[in-house]
Amino acid sequence: MKRMFMNSARCALAAAVVFSGLAALPVQAAQALTCSVTPNTIPITFSYHGAQLKITGRSADPDDLIVTITSEPVDTALKYKEKVGGLVWMKKGTLEFKGAPRIYMLHSTAALDRILGAVEREQHLLGYDALRGHIRIEDSTGSPADEKWFDEYLKFKKEEKVYDLQEGTVVRQHGEEGNTYQVEVAWPYQAPPGTYTVAVVAARDGKVVDRASANFEIKSVGVTAALSKMAFNQPGLYGIMAVVFALLAGLAVGAIFKKGGGSH
Amino acid sequence: MYMYLPIALTSVNYLVVMGLGLAVGLLSGLFGVGGGFLMTPLLMMIGIPPTIAAATDANQIVAASASGTFSHWRLGNVDFKMGLYLLIGGFVGGAAGVQVIKILRASGGADFLIKMTYVIMLGLVGSFMFVESLHAMRKSKKRSGSAAPAAAAKQKKGGFFAALPMQTYFEKSGVTHSALVPLVLGTFVGVLAAIMGVGGGFLMVPVMIYMLRMPMHVVVGTSLFQILFTCIEVTYLQAYSNQTVDFILAIILLVGSVFGAQVGTVLGKKLHGDQLKILLSIIVLAVTVKIVLELVMEPSILLSYAGGH
Repeated sequence: MKRMFMNSARCALAAAVVFSGLAALPVQAAQALTCSVTPNTIPITFSYHGAQLKITGRSADPDDLIVTITSEPVDTALKYKEKVGGLVWMKKGTLEFKGAPRIYMLHSTAALDRILGAVEREQHLLGYDALRGHIRIEDSTGSPADEKWFDEYLKFKKEEKVYDLQEGTVVRQHGEEGNTYQVEVAWPYQAPPGTYTVAVVAARDGKVVDRASANFEIKSVGVTAALSKMAFNQPGLYGIMAVVFALLAGLAVGAIFKKGGGSH
Repeated sequence: MYMYLPIALTSVNYLVVMGLGLAVGLLSGLFGVGGGFLMTPLLMMIGIPPTIAAATDANQIVAASASGTFSHWRLGNVDFKMGLYLLIGGFVGGAAGVQVIKILRASGGADFLIKMTYVIMLGLVGSFMFVESLHAMRKSKKRSGSAAPAAAAKQKKGGFFAALPMQTYFEKSGVTHSALVPLVLGTFVGVLAAIMGVGGGFLMVPVMIYMLRMPMHVVVGTSLFQILFTCIEVTYLQAYSNQTVDFILAIILLVGSVFGAQVGTVLGKKLHGDQLKILLSIIVLAVTVKIVLELVMEPSILLSYAGGH
């Protein structure tokens, strides 16, 4: 109960920091941090196979930068396997991962633990260790599950390509227009349609000193969108269409083969 | 090369998916099995969520089995009467099986029992078919094609089955059974298929060969006829209640599988019944070994989405 309370308090704190903007942060940066992402809308068509995102902006000269791409936290139920009877691996039950973002991608100018201290990282939800303290894992009775399941969750999400952490990939440049930064991110096609947030954090002397963010949207268009809409809004019609099409295709090919002399 | 799937919400290489369809369709036309046991895990391997893999596979099997049934029907290999009795039994059994599984799940630890039953059953059926058809092939070589022993073996049965009421002659298969026999056997397979979450072709085919004594070629056509109806029902229900049928994925799969089913039917015609049986038994045994290995070896990832086999 106590842990739950602490966790919720931590969540609230993290959310407050993330969503209340810059009010609480000391404005020390010589040049205000900016953030933009291109493209800011990515259409999902039949040929969609992920996208290349370019995140750019201005920053103050000496600051290190951490760029994250995340989605709203959700609760995810997953089946877990354990050894049964000391012999076989079976799905034993369900674990609920609460308050976990569907996507978590992090890029930085240098090693995360050299840029920020543990407390700052935890407070601003930066890095896998910060997520560990933030995501609550419960079994079907609602009691907290073993910590090892966070590591398994991470493995699962990394395998899905939706959790990724790359240090040293954000590049800074000094030009006539001031200091700019840039990072290119290979956006995984496994990420579902939705709105995602890119947040950039500037760090100096182990502390977060500035923040900026931008959104982008991944959305289905055309036939892809129409089919998905039909499947959910008119499931009966969609089911009949799927069956009839399959039947016709099967019978047509059967007939063509016969006529073409394939079976004789 | 890549195509985005609107329900599975992922992108796949359509040449790979078509290839999978072709391979599984071939098995379907050759042996009269749906191939879901093979297709669902393969789809999961290329990143399709388990529930969508299973439901979309059923949609694809509708096309493959329609294609296969059509060509087997032209070859005179579909026993509609027998198929209908088995189908009625299968529907009743399927509905009963769903209730049984609810009770089992509530009692806990049932999954272990179900998996073990499945493995033991497949292992027994596979071994029996393998030994029996090997034996038959040797025998037929010795007697250089005499049909007498098979006929004698047919006559030997009888007893309990022959004493049952409602004796019916099944013309296409050339066998006489009480109508109750296919009804009860169909129910039995339906219950097991529902409990194990598989289509049941693997159990139905041996049941038709060994218990109903139907000729191998008629078994394949009749099994496909049955699978066609089962998968129509499954596809519709999955689309209607769970929204798990990916129409685009199904189309890519069925482009491969309808051709595969045709090739399988042609190939099957060229093979002797015992050769078909021995090939099928090898596949059944290979599937058994695969499931045992999956159960015994530690999985690399211990978490998964719900659904699948």
